[in-house]
Amino acid sequence: MKVGIIGAGTMGNAHAKGWQKSGAEFVGVSAKNKESAKQLAETYGIKAYDNHQDLLEAVDIIDLCVPSDLHKDMVLEAARAKKHIICEKPIALTLEDAEAMIAACNKAGVRLFIAMVVRFFPQYRAAKAAIDAGQLGELGVIRLKRIGYQPLGDEAWFTDDKRSGGMIVDLMLHDLDYARSIAGEVKRVYAKSIRSTVNDAPGDYALITLGFESGAMALIEGGWAYPPGFFRTGIDIAGSEGLIEWQSDDSQTIKPFLKPQERTKVARVGIPSSSIAEDPYVTEIKHAYEAIRDNKPFLVSPEDGLEALRLALAAKESLKTGQVVFLGGN
Amino acid sequence: MRLGIMSFAHVHADGFLQILRKLQDVEFVGFSDTDKEQGKFFAELYGVPWFSSHEELLDQKLEGVVICSENANHLADVKLAAAAGVHILCEKPIATTLEDGLAIKEEIDKAGIKFMTAFPMRFDPSIVALKEMIERGDLGKIYAINGINHSEIPRRHRSWFADKKLAGGGAVMDHTVHLLDLYRWLLDSEASDLYAEVANPFTPDAEIDTAGLVTLSFANGVFASIDCSWSRPEAVYPRWGHLKMEVIGEQGAIAVDAFNQYLNYYSKQNSRQANWLGWGSDSSTAMVQEFINSIKEDRDPSIGWKDGFEALKVALACYDAAKAKQVVKL
Repeated sequence: MKVGIIGAGTMGNAHAKGWQKSGAEFVGVSAKNKESAKQLAETYGIKAYDNHQDLLEAVDIIDLCVPSDLHKDMVLEAARAKKHIICEKPIALTLEDAEAMIAACNKAGVRLFIAMVVRFFPQYRAAKAAIDAGQLGELGVIRLKRIGYQPLGDEAWFTDDKRSGGMIVDLMLHDLDYARSIAGEVKRVYAKSIRSTVNDAPGDYALITLGFESGAMALIEGGWAYPPGFFRTGIDIAGSEGLIEWQSDDSQTIKPFLKPQERTKVARVGIPSSSIAEDPYVTEIKHAYEAIRDNKPFLVSPEDGLEALRLALAAKESLKTGQVVFLGGN
Repeated sequence: MRLGIMSFAHVHADGFLQILRKLQDVEFVGFSDTDKEQGKFFAELYGVPWFSSHEELLDQKLEGVVICSENANHLADVKLAAAAGVHILCEKPIATTLEDGLAIKEEIDKAGIKFMTAFPMRFDPSIVALKEMIERGDLGKIYAINGINHSEIPRRHRSWFADKKLAGGGAVMDHTVHLLDLYRWLLDSEASDLYAEVANPFTPDAEIDTAGLVTLSFANGVFASIDCSWSRPEAVYPRWGHLKMEVIGEQGAIAVDAFNQYLNYYSKQNSRQANWLGWGSDSSTAMVQEFINSIKEDRDPSIGWKDGFEALKVALACYDAAKAKQVVKL
């Protein structure tokens, strides 16, 4: 099947690597930033399209790596064109938009894959597999951590709430989704956050408490709060029968101790690095492609994407009211 | 200085005994315990004098005692010590109800004795260093603190920790107070409201809370969380647990893992498959020394009744918030 990417930023490039290794016919890219599109096209030997409509016409699958506020319109456009869709997370910025997108894809008979990449990180998969196998018993306390730094330069749209939904919707969504994937539906959400008003200071930090229908509880910690270059994640899941602990600090398999060179270049947007054979973004794209090609279910459904957004928005609601937010009619 | 231990009920009694025997300017007189079996057992184990009544111990011309009874018995023991005019270092939480907490204040004021709450972590070198960094302004304005004081359930060491009547509660009562005290001290501000999820997912056979996630707001605008859960697998985890915190501020973050100084230790003679053998500093010795110094110098100890009472207030409010499923004002 033929595939094209719209958007040539950090995610467009991460996905491109996946498409190259997917077995799909990776034909083209289109991006608002023509220079970025040209660079990506050159790297992968594909065509840079001047406008995304032409690219859309040329493919069977379109991969949307554009800012989140564009997801809805572009998904609707692609569904009208009867193309299967890969769409970066969050699915949308409002529940209404997300529902409309899912409905449009169902109606058009096209597949919609929301790229929740954390589900494809091997440590998160291994933890979920142990939990699903009952090795932890009933889940009790889940702690998930994800702190990076404020996106920089071209990627600064992330810090614009109107475009990205803000740090909770963009970043903490991953762990909200993962928590739900291992512990089920959430009944209560309580959140606290801060956004720096100081120039050059790290941006956002939030703590979200979830109470699950199962009786489990979770603390989701997220932030763009470290100085540029730092990104730390962690898992701590305790159940009645066992415990899983993991911190990104602990699992570097290669650590350079080199003479300092000129200032190390920092990526514009921090994404977790991992010295493993297959980049999780590649795993994700391969999975999505094979599921579309073979008409098999996705590991993460559009509805999962919608529910993760519901949790993120509930957290924002809690921030606004200062109160506990109840989901699913208490 | 003649010092003794009232009751050997608390798990920390053993540690206090070792410290009192070791300190140069202390004459360790012995311990009292009305439980004959417990008294005899520890007297033989450590080769120290045991008194079968507290009055008998208090008759030994003591200057101070460490109260290591069950939380619910602190007030009764304070009364006896106060009547004998003996200064008190009291285990935390200082009581199980606000009424008892206030009654303790009356007793010590009436008797004019010193009262120190046993919060040893204020003497931990990493916490002291953190306090210095905060005061020096390394972090700029403080935004938030994410703290963890999770452990295994302590009932294998002393069964009353899982007895609601004697302990006043489970994990929340046991562990919230340590971090709360550190937050108050580091921030120089009082908690203004909190929300908590509290449950018992880990030891269903014990009728007590074993899990708690607390989110607090402080009067100065900082928010913080406390994971007080007994969530480390009982008898399986390589050590009792952890005390960690990450402080987020304008200039980045500082992470503290106070018990990170240990050896990985394996022996066929041990019951656990792996052990973490701590080699870090002993903050309890510094705490006892401060108690002794306050008596010698006839001044208030650095951690007083109010610190113990504020921590108790917060621990009790956690249960209220969890029950009401609402934010509770303090």
